[in-house]
Amino acid sequence: MTTVQSPVPASAAPVSGRARGAGARGAAWLRVAGGLLAVLGALLPWATFVLNEGPYPEKATLQFFVAPLGLTGFRLHLALLGLAAILVSVRAVRGRARIVRALGWGIVATSLVNGLYITVEGGGLGAITASGGSAAFGAVVALIGGAFAAAGAVGGGIEPLPVREWRMPWWAEWLLLLVLFGLLLLVVSAVLTSGGQGGVVNPYAGAVFLSFLAAAGGAFAALHASGLLTWLAAVAERHRVFSIVVLLVMALLLPLTGAGTEYWMTVAANIGVYAATAIGLNIVVGLAGLLDLGYVAFLGIGAFVAANLSGAAASEIGIRLPFPLVMIISAVVAGLFGAVVGSPTLRVRGDYLAIVTLAFGEIFVRSAQNNIGGLTGGANAIPNIPQVSAFGTAFNESIAIGAVTLPAGVLYYVLIVLLVAVVMLVFGNLKNSRLGRAWIAIREDEDAARAMGIRTGPIKILAFLIGATLAGLAGAFFAHKTAVVAYDSFRFLESVTLLAAVILGGMGTIPGAVFGASILFVLPEKLREFADYRLLLFGLALVVIMRFRPQGIIPDRHRRTELAPVTAQDPPPAKGAEA
Amino acid sequence: MTAPILEAAGVTMVFGGLTALKDVSFTLRDGEIIGLIGPNGAGKTTLFNCLTGLYAPSRGAVALRGTRLACDPARVTAAGVARTFQNIRLFPGMTATENVLVGRHVRMTQGPLSSLLHGPRFRRSEAEAAERAEKLLAFVGLTRFADELARNLPYGDQRRLEIARALATEPSVLLLDEPTAGMNAQETQSTRQLILAIRDLGVSVVVIEHDTKFIFTLCDRVLVLVQGELLVAGTPDEVRGDPRVVEAYLGAPPEEIEAQIHRSEV
Ligand SMILES: Nc1ncnc2c1ncn2[C@@H]1O[C@H](COP(=O)(O)OP(=O)(O)OP(=O)(O)O)[C@@H](O)[C@H]1O
Ligand SMILES: [Mg+2]
Repeated sequence: MTTVQSPVPASAAPVSGRARGAGARGAAWLRVAGGLLAVLGALLPWATFVLNEGPYPEKATLQFFVAPLGLTGFRLHLALLGLAAILVSVRAVRGRARIVRALGWGIVATSLVNGLYITVEGGGLGAITASGGSAAFGAVVALIGGAFAAAGAVGGGIEPLPVREWRMPWWAEWLLLLVLFGLLLLVVSAVLTSGGQGGVVNPYAGAVFLSFLAAAGGAFAALHASGLLTWLAAVAERHRVFSIVVLLVMALLLPLTGAGTEYWMTVAANIGVYAATAIGLNIVVGLAGLLDLGYVAFLGIGAFVAANLSGAAASEIGIRLPFPLVMIISAVVAGLFGAVVGSPTLRVRGDYLAIVTLAFGEIFVRSAQNNIGGLTGGANAIPNIPQVSAFGTAFNESIAIGAVTLPAGVLYYVLIVLLVAVVMLVFGNLKNSRLGRAWIAIREDEDAARAMGIRTGPIKILAFLIGATLAGLAGAFFAHKTAVVAYDSFRFLESVTLLAAVILGGMGTIPGAVFGASILFVLPEKLREFADYRLLLFGLALVVIMRFRPQGIIPDRHRRTELAPVTAQDPPPAKGAEA
Repeated sequence: MTAPILEAAGVTMVFGGLTALKDVSFTLRDGEIIGLIGPNGAGKTTLFNCLTGLYAPSRGAVALRGTRLACDPARVTAAGVARTFQNIRLFPGMTATENVLVGRHVRMTQGPLSSLLHGPRFRRSEAEAAERAEKLLAFVGLTRFADELARNLPYGDQRRLEIARALATEPSVLLLDEPTAGMNAQETQSTRQLILAIRDLGVSVVVIEHDTKFIFTLCDRVLVLVQGELLVAGTPDEVRGDPRVVEAYLGAPPEEIEAQIHRSEV
């Protein structure tokens, strides 16, 4: 009934041993040739013209890459991916075909991004082939190399994902994790800073960033294909507390890297707000399976409550409470609203529930827009919310510790990192408890959950309440960080974005929500130079991710999405209605 | 003599114009295994749904040890009546262990706050629940599937897992809806042993089955439901020889009945 063993195609065309051997050898040659071409492509010129605006074409037209060790030099990436493909091809590595396939696709993607960009900028195919007396075939050669490598890998037959079960003494594993997370910090910093600090500084930032993403994606996929990533995850799981502490420390160290600028501190704070809110939403959608389309309203409620209690001149209440107290009150008020919204939704399920929550979100936005109750400032918003400050330092100032000057906004960054950590802890603890299991049981089969003695009503309200509380907490931070709270920060589109973050990252997981929120913020920031095409590219990225990983980038160990196709494994519905 | 452990009195269930159950009364005594048989659509599953509070009977009442049961599955389960489903209703995306842990829900005391803080008491209750889940999985013979997703289990084992999950609620009455449907002879045999072992734990059992031989050799008493009415109730020998039963089952003698039913199931 369950796993229907797909029979080995015994009747497949009989291949003689010699023919198969020849085929395998051909595939091996194809892989090596692909790697060689990729390296060659990296060394060839890429563009037949020079743009006078900045480093991108300059790099592309040079005979060699400008900064050999620059993490963002796409030619270095290609050379490395190609070398890796050659090395893996000639050595007996487990999971070889999978690795080379990943590397091949990485090469293809990287050369496509750069080739396309140069073609568009140079006004045609001549830009990456030959025109005006100069020839540049780098893009074409690398692209063919990548395709060869991938084809050779597939042609040789794809083996199952290798499982590695190495064990080391605990101190060695700790050291490994430390190095690993340190590297992760560097990679994150490199991703953020690749192509410069943003559209204004470097007109090619978007292309450089995409190229970096393509190469890094290929490298990660190759790591995964080798079974190393799974193994590393298992090691991290063995030392869970240690890993969490190190990750937290690494997150707090980000301001010391190249990404430690006021700009990135602000972006990171925004990411944090949305990540915290997305984790709250993840309780409602990911764990309890209740689709909520108006969730951003709770972020808004938290923000408006905080704005009114912050002593802002525009607030009607006009009292100023200490920030920690403001946070608590905002969270509690948002949580109460969550429970209130949750109760009428108990009688509706699925699509109907989504509509009810959508309506609630609209009611909130309209009320805030019309300044009902005089608490939202209407179209004028509530501006000039005072900064959080402690020990005489406002959180938006830059601070100097000895010789090191930390960028402005670093204190907000630290605060949001800690806030997200707390929210993660709440989510993780609840998920692994009687309450969390009850939520998941309701998601899986509400009637069966009731038959197991779960009182679904109160438990569902609790999901709404706790989710909204976390959003309210984030809202209080948001109000102070941005210093102005306006109704139009909490529209339907924001709810959808949050939902996208949850689904994209992986439902029911913590890293998923954080990762999803990060992508949703970093991508638009990085793609600014594409202006009009930005949303198009963004949407395209979402479609591609959902096509190849419908369970999300970091899926729950046992995630069953409503998006997953119904398989023959599901027991057929009985004739008589049973429930 | 104490009150019977489960008592249904005049249970009637009407769906629109269809009377699925008509004035069904029976009692279940301590340590008893009752078989419930009847043709397709006789109302067997509907009776289970009425007993467990999934349906509110149009008339009549159900009492557990003399206390009337509410029409709320959650409260009925808490009171001590557990069940399995004819069309397996596991939590497919949870592991076997987690499924059983959900069954522990009503017997665990963990407030939201304790779930949040994971204090020593929380950890003790989790450890205890995990230990019980492990024992229950061993009891039904599913230890090797402890960390496997429910939906990946072989069909017969899914039925066993449902039983383990029901047992986790510490029931005094267990209602099994076609526990051997889709099983081969060997699996059916081990399910019989399992039901006997459950009875030996002090749990009274009601079993719905189409396999009459299974029922007649397992149960202390047998109820025959035909078109919503309790036609006959008695020991297997009494029921087997009753002409009304033979007639209800298409007028064929018992051996043929079985063959008939097996054919109609395929
Ligand atoms: N929720 C419902 N609404 C309407 N009719 C129902 C409902 N549940 C059951 N019925 C009807 O009640 C009758 C009895 O169904 P029930 O499922 O109890 O039969 P059963 O004895 O369990 O049959 P089977 O052996 O096929 O499982 C059937 O005619 C069925 O269609
Ligand atoms: Mg039935």
